[in-house]
Formats: sequence, structure tokens, C-alpha cells
Amino acid sequence: MSKMFKSPWLECNIMLAVLIISFIGMYLIGQGLETPPGGMSGLTIVGWLAGFFFLSFGIALVAVIGGIGGGVLFTPFMLAFTSVDSLIVRATGLIVAMFSGLISTGPFMRGGLANLKICVFCAAAYGVGAFTGAQGAIYVAKHLGATGEGVVRISLGVILFSLAVYFIVGGKKIEWPEVKKIDGFTKKLKMTQPYYEASLGKVIDYPLTRAGGVLAAIIGVGMLSGFFGLGAGWAIVPAQNLIMCVPLKVAAANSGVLLGMGDCIAVWPYLLMGAIIPVFAAPWLVGQVLGGLLGALILIKVKAGFVRYLLIGFMFFACFGLLTKGLTMLGVIGTVPLWINGVVFVTIFAVVIVSIVRYMKAEG
Amino acid sequence: MSVEERPKMPASQLVYGEIVYWVTVVAAIICSIGPFISIKNVENNILNPHFLFAGIFEGKSPETIWQEVGGGFPGGHFYLANFGMGDGFTQAGLALGCSVGLYGLIAASFCFLKEGNPLFFVLSLWVALLISVSMIGIV
Repeated sequence: MSKMFKSPWLECNIMLAVLIISFIGMYLIGQGLETPPGGMSGLTIVGWLAGFFFLSFGIALVAVIGGIGGGVLFTPFMLAFTSVDSLIVRATGLIVAMFSGLISTGPFMRGGLANLKICVFCAAAYGVGAFTGAQGAIYVAKHLGATGEGVVRISLGVILFSLAVYFIVGGKKIEWPEVKKIDGFTKKLKMTQPYYEASLGKVIDYPLTRAGGVLAAIIGVGMLSGFFGLGAGWAIVPAQNLIMCVPLKVAAANSGVLLGMGDCIAVWPYLLMGAIIPVFAAPWLVGQVLGGLLGALILIKVKAGFVRYLLIGFMFFACFGLLTKGLTMLGVIGTVPLWINGVVFVTIFAVVIVSIVRYMKAEG
Repeated sequence: MSVEERPKMPASQLVYGEIVYWVTVVAAIICSIGPFISIKNVENNILNPHFLFAGIFEGKSPETIWQEVGGGFPGGHFYLANFGMGDGFTQAGLALGCSVGLYGLIAASFCFLKEGNPLFFVLSLWVALLISVSMIGIV
């Protein structure tokens, strides 16, 4: 039997077939629809739905490989290039952030690249942090205002910049961290779990350490996430990797699973208040599922260095955003024009692509 | 360990992964069909797509869109009473996908218990509880 009729390609093909038939049907019906005064024409609606799907597919592909939520790419894009209300953008951004993680959960769990115990351990802490962070946001808004938020954003930007630099100089130590001493608490949790690393063709058994430290860090990440309404993938990967010594690819896979799990909590307030408009959000969801599945299959096979370079790019871009936003809030600089954000993004990722090409050539 | 000896994953991990994966696939299929139902009969929606998309791209707030196009927001679980409508059917897919962590974690928690791991049984149920209270609208 052809591999196209076996999982995961079978369900991938079914989803694609349903999607194509649905779009063809919408196109044919849309042609004959009469546009009411003040409304949008049928074909324009279908065009937008198709555009959303393709954009979402591309975002998911990159997000899963880097272990980040796609919201970090989706939200600025939508706010920059459309006039869609920011609440709708943020709410749909959560759908974008979580569904690539949810669909990649299957392949990651089957192959062992992600570790459910680490994910549940972190999710339990993340939930507590997110609740506290949301309360903190209310407190700061009342007492410290924009200055407090600006200072915290700049501090975060500096921390992230330091981490990104460490990811550059850390090299192999980041990809496959060495554990010198395992503490008693981590040993008792028994979270380690060997898996088959497809890019190396061997079984990797990774010891873990400082689980208490990562617990505190993830509570902190959850607080920041709840406080700012930020995605947290960029922080969850380095927290696992640098504190608990989780190999980089495993940390990226865990991050995707964790975002899917954690955002099941975060998304419901938006659904219950009507900020997620069903027909508008649907193509974003489908794009995330198909792109996320393909991204997961790629991540299983790529070398850890590839993931490291991609993550460094995202960290520098997030760092730029945090610093400029913080300085704007403090009144030091004016609002950064969108074209500068675009130039910075393109520049960073041009360097990332060149680095990845060089790395792949060097690795043969 | 040799290359052939691929490690066997614990049941808790496999059960969580499979439930989340397949329910997400079903949610995606529902969300692929939903917009087609919406366009096929634009009157069979709470939010008429012609005015819905016009409102979204005019930058109107969700509250205004629901009020102007649908006569008010019928509640997040409106799909239960409007499953046959285009947007009701699509919302059902969204709700299914957005609650998938709950089903996966409940099943995985019992696997953890069977595996003799009470700590992770409790932690899984804790995260499942957080999702439940969020779904009900308590937080």
C-alpha cells in the first residue's frame, strides 16, 4: 500500500480533499451570489478565506519547527496590514498559536520527541503563573501605568537579547546540553524518556536536572504571558533548554505541545465573549492544522542546529519588538514605523537563512 | 541501545497524543466544511457573511459586529442550539478543537495512575480542571 494511504498522509490527504472541494464549491456558489448593498461580494469573501488559509499554512510550518506559537508572526502582520479590530486579531491569534501545537502533538508523542511528563509539569506551573499574571496586569494598570509596563518590556528585551547571544555562542552545548549533576527532586520526578533521534539515526537518552528551577521559571513565564497577553514559546524553549538541560529539539517539540495544552485554557474567555468569529477564524485553524502537521514531520527529521538558528532569529525579532515598545511607552522614542519592523524582520531572517545554509553545507 | 531498538513510549503519552491529534483532525474537517455551509445559504447563519466580512474589514469591534449583523451575541456555546447553521457548525468545530486538551488530559491521567505515577495523575487533572473552569466561563 502506498504511504499516501497510511497515517499521517491519509488524514492529511482527506483534510486537503475536503478543503479543496469546499473551496471549489464556495467559488462556484460565490460567483452567483448577489451582493447586498453595504455587503462584501461572495467572491471577495472566498478570496479572503483562501488567502487566510495560505498565510496560516506558511506561519504554522515555520512556527512548529522553531517551537514557537504562530501568534508572534500573525498578530503583527494582521495589525500592520489590515484594519481588523485588535481584539479580533488577538483572539484569532490564539487559534493560530495553539492549533499548530495541537496537531503536532500526535507525531511528537508517538515518536517520543516530546515528553508528556515535562509538558504536564510545565503546564501545571504555567497555569498558576498565567492566572497570577492576569491579576498583576490589573494591579499594574491601576498603580504603575505605562511606565511600569515599559520598564518590564525593556527588562524582558534585555534578558531575551542575552539568551539569544548565549544561543549563538553556546553551539552544540545548547543543542545537546550536558548534565553534570542530577538533583534529588528531579530524580524523584522520573521525567527522563529516551527517544529515537531520526537525524542522527540513534536512540538519545537525556538526563534532566534543576526541575525546581524550571518550575519557578515557567511560573514566571506564565505570569509574563498572562500579564502582557504574549505568546510564550520563545521563553519556554530556552527555559527548558538552559535550566533543565532538555535537548533543543525536544524543548521545541515540548513547547508546541505545551502551547496547545495551555492555550485550551486561555482561548475560552475569547470564545465566550464572541471575539472569535467562527467563519473568520476557521481558515486560520485549518491552515495551522495542515501546516503544523507538515512542520512536525519536518522537525522530526531536521538537525538540532537548524532549529537553533531559527529560534535565534525569532528571539532577536521578539527582542527588537520588546525594546522598541518599551522605549515608546517610556516616551524615549516615538512609535516605530511599520516599515522599520519589516526591514528588521527581513534582515534578521536573511542572516538566519544564510547561517542555516552554511550550517547544512558544513554538516554535509 | 541499537538503532533497531526504538524505545517504547508510555501509554499515557500515546493516549494523550492520539486523542489530541484525531480530535484536532476532526475539528479541522468541520472548520473546512463550515464556511461552505455559510456561503451556500447565506441566510442560514447568525452572522450573514456579506455583512460579517464587510464589518470585520471596516475595523468594527466584535460586540458591534454581533449586534449589527446578528442582533446580539448569542453566547459562546451557541452552536449547541444552532448546529445546522453555517457559523453554528463552524463554531462547533472551534469549540471541539479548543477543548481537546481536556479530553486528552483526563484519559492520560488514568494512564498515569495505571503506570503507578500518582503525582502526574494529579498534575494532569489539575490542568484539566483549569481548562474546564475556563470553558464554563468561571475565569
